[in-house]
Amino acid sequence: MINLKFILNGKEVTVETEPSIRLLDLLRDKFNLTGTKEGCGVGECGACTVLMNGKAVNSCLILAAQIEGNEIVTIEGITNGNELHPIQKKFLKYGAVQCGFCSPAMVLSAFALLKENPNPTEEEIKDAIAGNLCRCTGYKQIIEAINESAKELTSH
Amino acid sequence: MIPSIEILIPKNLNEVLGILSNQDKNFKIIAGGTDVVTGLKQESNRFINTEVLVDINRIAEVKGIEKRNGKISIGAASTFTEIYTNPIVSSELPILKKAVATIGSLQIRNRATIAGNFVNNAPCADTVTALLVYNATIEIESTNSKREISLQEFLQGPYKTQLKKDEIVTRINIPVPPKTFVGDFYKLGRRQAVAISRITFAVLMELNGNKINEIKIAAGAVTPIGTRFPELEKYAAGKEANNDFIKSLASKLGEEIIKLTGLRWSSEYKLPVVQQMFYQMLKRITKK
Ligand SMILES: Cc1cc2nc3c(=O)[nH]c(=O)nc-3n(C[C@H](O)[C@H](O)[C@H](O)COP(=O)(O)OP(=O)(O)OC[C@H]3O[C@@H](n4cnc5c(N)ncnc54)[C@H](O)[C@@H]3O)c2cc1C
Ligand code: FES
Ligand code: FES
Repeated sequence: MINLKFILNGKEVTVETEPSIRLLDLLRDKFNLTGTKEGCGVGECGACTVLMNGKAVNSCLILAAQIEGNEIVTIEGITNGNELHPIQKKFLKYGAVQCGFCSPAMVLSAFALLKENPNPTEEEIKDAIAGNLCRCTGYKQIIEAINESAKELTSH
Repeated sequence: MIPSIEILIPKNLNEVLGILSNQDKNFKIIAGGTDVVTGLKQESNRFINTEVLVDINRIAEVKGIEKRNGKISIGAASTFTEIYTNPIVSSELPILKKAVATIGSLQIRNRATIAGNFVNNAPCADTVTALLVYNATIEIESTNSKREISLQEFLQGPYKTQLKKDEIVTRINIPVPPKTFVGDFYKLGRRQAVAISRITFAVLMELNGNKINEIKIAAGAVTPIGTRFPELEKYAAGKEANNDFIKSLASKLGEEIIKLTGLRWSSEYKLPVVQQMFYQMLKRITKK
């Protein structure tokens, strides 16, 4: 067991954990942050995407001890209290959420993209979500929702 | 399940070397972990006996990309995203940049590192062909040795390299290619596709008018490991890069690949695909 200290959704946290459990399990089992999903468990589906130091990563491929001192943001960390993030609202508005299993990760990939590149082209949007599988929507609505989010976020 | 493993997070290279020099335990370096963690999960026998993982992501000596004495020096633990967005790579190493862009997904490229790619040395390690045509050399260190060898020499076979248990790859060095060289990277097929339907090629060449002064050719995924073709390169030097010649070069490359793999391909399909793809690529480079 180790005592792990890191920043989770803006707050410094300390937790006792096995060093080699996956970040995915740490978030779900120790912090009850179940918005982070397990699909494939081997880096293929992106359902487990979280942000580490601002970058989208697969939490199924990171081991707990590796995040010491790092900053982790999950889907639960981008809302403002009970108010959804603008990207989440656009996802709802444009029908980009069907079963919803891919949605938290998809929103985080969009969030990371728009932070770095507030005016992405359609190609850039596609590249940013190429690691997020969605079995329901066919992606068209998702790309539209991200595009509309970009417009809204840059208009302020 | 990932087995219970101790994880060390050293802060500098000396600490890493000290840890690796202790031969009592089964140590394994972890960088991006995209091969290590999936390997542990799938109980791959290359990782199964690991007792301690040594995380090298915070070691300044293996990070960063810079020009030093006419060479571009890439830290071994540079992520593909760091390489892709680096201005030196963009202007001097376009073939590497193109290879890196084809890897996995953004989430993978944000973690996966360049040394992890060729130390793992899967037949389909996509950066290998690009690094081979650039004549990359790699720096390897342990507590009592420091050596620099060509990547070609380092790679020994599928999933096999010259790396010893107490060693770490610290830098990848690439001589700055003269501006007169042109080239390209080509990849067909997804990683998950059946290995043999995948192809990667990298070519770097200098043309004088229509004459080939020098050419470097590498292929991967269709070959057991990423490979250069010195005989073919010698044969092509000094020749006119006309349509007939590049066609014959493509057909020779196909034959060489068959020799190398010893595979009895269903040649009606694979051989022509390899030859056609390589021909198209040469055509693009020489703009025929
Ligand atoms: C979903 C998915 C998609 C992928 N797609 C592609 C693809 O398209 N193309 C491709 O080529 N690969 C692909 N890969 C494979 C993998 O991402 C790459 O091989 C990657 O470069 C490995 O780097 P890493 O830092 O993650 O390695 P790690 O998993 O950290 O390490 C891999 C091996 O290298 C050793 N090692 C790492 N760094 C060093 C060092 N500095 N010195 C000595 N030893 C070291 C480790 O001990 C280990 O044996 C994919 C993987 C996944 C999970
Ligand atoms: S669960 Fe992590 S990528 Fe599928
Ligand atoms: S909405 Fe069902 S997987 Fe994307």
